[in-house]
Amino acid sequence: MSSSFTIHVLHSHPKACCLHNVISTRRGARVILHDGARIAIIGGGPAGSLFCIFASQLARDMGMALDFTIYERKSFASYGASGCNMCAGVVSESLVQLLALEGINLPPAVVQWGIESYFFHTEGGSVEIKSSRLRQRGIATVFRGGGPAGSLAKGIQSFDDFLLQRAVEHGACVKRTFIDRVCMEGDKPRLYSGGKMLQDCDLLVGAFGIKAGTGKMFEDLSAGYKVPPTTKAVQSEIELGSDWVERRFGHSIHIFLLRIPGIKFVSVIPKGDYITVSVLGKYPKSDHITAFLDHSAMKKFLPSGFQIPQKFCHCFPKISVGAAIKPFARRAAFVGDASSTRLYKDGIGSAYITAKAAAHTALLHGIGEKDFREYYFPACKSLNRDNLFGQHLFFVNKLISVVSPVSRGYFHIVQSEQKNLQKNTPYSDVLWDMFTGSRFYKDIFFRTLHPWFILYLLGAVVLYPIKKAFLFFANRWKGVVL
Amino acid sequence: MTEESLLGRLYEDGETIVEEGMQSRTMYVIQGGKVKVVKNDNGNETVLALLGEGDIFGEMSLFDASPRSATIKAVGEARVLAIEHEGLMKRIKMDPTLALRMIKQMCQRIRDLNARLIVTKKAMHQASEGLLQLQRTEGVPRKDLEPKILAMVAQLQENLHTLTEQYVPRDESLP
Ligand SMILES: Cc1cc2nc3c(=O)[nH]c(=O)nc-3n(C[C@H](O)[C@H](O)[C@H](O)COP(=O)(O)OP(=O)(O)OC[C@H]3O[C@@H](n4cnc5c(N)ncnc54)[C@H](O)[C@@H]3O)c2cc1C
Repeated sequence: MSSSFTIHVLHSHPKACCLHNVISTRRGARVILHDGARIAIIGGGPAGSLFCIFASQLARDMGMALDFTIYERKSFASYGASGCNMCAGVVSESLVQLLALEGINLPPAVVQWGIESYFFHTEGGSVEIKSSRLRQRGIATVFRGGGPAGSLAKGIQSFDDFLLQRAVEHGACVKRTFIDRVCMEGDKPRLYSGGKMLQDCDLLVGAFGIKAGTGKMFEDLSAGYKVPPTTKAVQSEIELGSDWVERRFGHSIHIFLLRIPGIKFVSVIPKGDYITVSVLGKYPKSDHITAFLDHSAMKKFLPSGFQIPQKFCHCFPKISVGAAIKPFARRAAFVGDASSTRLYKDGIGSAYITAKAAAHTALLHGIGEKDFREYYFPACKSLNRDNLFGQHLFFVNKLISVVSPVSRGYFHIVQSEQKNLQKNTPYSDVLWDMFTGSRFYKDIFFRTLHPWFILYLLGAVVLYPIKKAFLFFANRWKGVVL
Repeated sequence: MTEESLLGRLYEDGETIVEEGMQSRTMYVIQGGKVKVVKNDNGNETVLALLGEGDIFGEMSLFDASPRSATIKAVGEARVLAIEHEGLMKRIKMDPTLALRMIKQMCQRIRDLNARLIVTKKAMHQASEGLLQLQRTEGVPRKDLEPKILAMVAQLQENLHTLTEQYVPRDESLP
């Protein structure tokens, strides 16, 4: 039996019918990957490469050989946006550790800077937070592409390229092709590019992210898949020279929580000769970058007389703020940004989680819709559930930052905690875990609900102004006596 | 390779990363350089293994919570990434396959230890056979026996030495 179903990026194929129908006619038959099965992966970002690595590793352990083709339209060696998957480029503490455990150690050409702490800058002052658990440079900053536009930077290896090369070592064949049409030919997905039929496959992996419009193509399949909701961010790379970056920014990521209209917060990420400025706001524009670089809190980090270059590498990438609906179908699984990601952090870490869960489902359980629903979808749902806790935490964080006495109280506790890292540092740990992605939001959420946590914070809110007033009068009194 | 872009913590030549007998459940992955696994026996240091980039150590305490079974020291400058115990245990609970690589490495070590055990057993057997033979030889003055015993001890020491030498570099090729 052969039924034909076609989807296009730009227009619908006349023979288009619902994938659901195709699937339902075949319900009941168990679909699994056989030795030599063909797997087509659309997208060679972290999710696509990691899927390939995990699937091929497990296949080898099971004594099977699979045939992988990764379709990636970009060349990650290119400078600027054309070779880059546009992100702040922070590989979280937990992901660095997980990759190392998987035997994927990031080489120095990929790691632009090792990070050991976070600085939080508010209108009221700055505080540095270090991990209370491990004293080390445990976070990596990377370039996703070959480096910023117009740069002459040498020795930069793209993070995405590094992972793609690992996938190649695991047997993947990479084709620099843009997939613009997918259809079901009989029971199997068939891929096209520019009107040319490329291949049929036993399993199709959608690792196309959210930045290109590829997800829409799958929505039109009516199999129930829907791309995640997104918002826009603005980012830029500023060249300052590695000596300056080392001296002024150290081995820290700087988070600026300033009251600049239209901006939620800004992260400044050191990367060798460059800093990446990443702005989250409601309707981010390149003017926001200029306004931020002009702000007095940031100016002191820049060389005197620093002029914003006329042309500087910047982009407006989409960032996922929700989850895809039904990220799977018979013989198809969507991973990475095309599926579920952690809210505002560790998107690459989420790509790791979803890619691995999908790969293991495909090999250990099967590639039917039921298999993905039963064994892959729970991994996505657990990320989505965790994001609900994340939303609460970010809401509370916003509330705290609006109510000055509470934010001052919190700030004060964190400052004193950081003076003695040998003791427990619960308030610093909450901030560290929220921004680094080292713990799940649920974990952090329940820690903040502990009665002692709330009582101590309230105590600081009341005591801090009294202590400040006391010190003020004590100093005045000293002045009078002297 | 610039120092700025290296992850983990830098240890100087000879610096101790893990101390035998200490209670700690942190695990480590070598990012650059080499470390040696040593066992202290009344001041005598025996090198059990030499580990290099990508190798994991400290995983035994992660699983059995016992004190460290050996000391680990940097050989030259070494960059080592620590893996935090609590976070890792939570991850392993969610994804048990994470422990696979550690299990594979442990299997490899057990295989190497078995191989060493057999070679040691052979050497000991040869030595005891030799001593027994000497005991059985009658009428040889004691002073004539001494050089033979000394030669035998030297041979035994040589055997045990090559045993360590032979297996230390093998560990470098661990997955
Ligand atoms: C402003 C911003 C800052 C961020 N900062 C961080 C951070 O610091 N740390 C972090 O971990 N995450 C961060 N993220 C999130 C992170 O970028 C994503 O979660 C991550 O890139 C997802 O990986 P992926 O492989 O799913 O998708 P992508 O990285 O988007 O890769 C998808 C790939 O598919 C290719 N592709 C798409 N369609 C087709 C097609 N039809 N044919 C062929 N190829 C195709 C694309 O070219 C692309 O290479 C940030 C995101 C944004 C927007």
